[in-house]
Amino acid sequence: MLSIFKSIPTHMDYKGQKLAEQIFQGIILFSAVIGFIYGLIIQQFGWTVYIVLGGFTVACVLTLPPWPMYRKTPLSWQPALPETSGETSQKPQESLKKKKHK
Amino acid sequence: MNTVLSRANSLFAFSLSVMAALTFGCFITTAFKDRRVPVRVHVSKVMLKNVDDFTGPRERSDLGFITFDLSADLQPIFDWNVKQLFLYLSAEYATKSNALNQVVLWDKIVLRGENPKLNLRDMKSKYFFFDDGNGLRANKNITLTLSWNVVPNAGILPLVVGSGQVSLPFPDMYETTKSY
Repeated sequence: MLSIFKSIPTHMDYKGQKLAEQIFQGIILFSAVIGFIYGLIIQQFGWTVYIVLGGFTVACVLTLPPWPMYRKTPLSWQPALPETSGETSQKPQESLKKKKHK
Repeated sequence: MNTVLSRANSLFAFSLSVMAALTFGCFITTAFKDRRVPVRVHVSKVMLKNVDDFTGPRERSDLGFITFDLSADLQPIFDWNVKQLFLYLSAEYATKSNALNQVVLWDKIVLRGENPKLNLRDMKSKYFFFDDGNGLRANKNITLTLSWNVVPNAGILPLVVGSGQVSLPFPDMYETTKSY
């Protein structure tokens, strides 16, 4: 069951993560300012809370799923090295050590 | 920010911090407001009895009965940081044994959204006006005061004394208790 959820790709690239953070901070701060002013005018703090919750929902929809706009600059990985069996025995050992560190 | 859960976590934490800041702003906008309003208290009838006080020492104590009118406009008190008002009418007087006696005679809760204009006629006190001795008889200065607690959404819980007190003398004679 959990493996099904883990198989769904949810990652963003680095620029996408920065963009997502800026977007949700902007939305929530904007709704907070609007809600505070509106609540102050009609003298109902409950409406301030509702407006911030509305901004929270919008921010969730916009930034939680990995929309394509957050995946525009994928990292360009090095191409995978071809598997060679007759190489010197030192190199595979180094890669094994690195894997253990991870 | 790499996975859905970490993004949800930072989004939730940020929203909560913003909400806390807004609540503090709500408190600041109302913190320095004067919540006193004029109150008119009028006492129409005073009666004094001397009865057995079964709660204290087995002696007869003074028991006062007060019928009062009360009018006040509480509308200026309410704003977006007030949930309810707890009003109470208290009597203050001095006796030989105590320099200050305070007895709560009546109280009322006014919720936000209810009618804030109080106009009460011929109210009887909710609670017994018992003295702990015989200090009520011929006491010439018994002061009735309406005070209120302001219950806020956030911040301090102010206790406000309404302007408009009334002082009244109590009778010199006890009302004779009828025996049935």
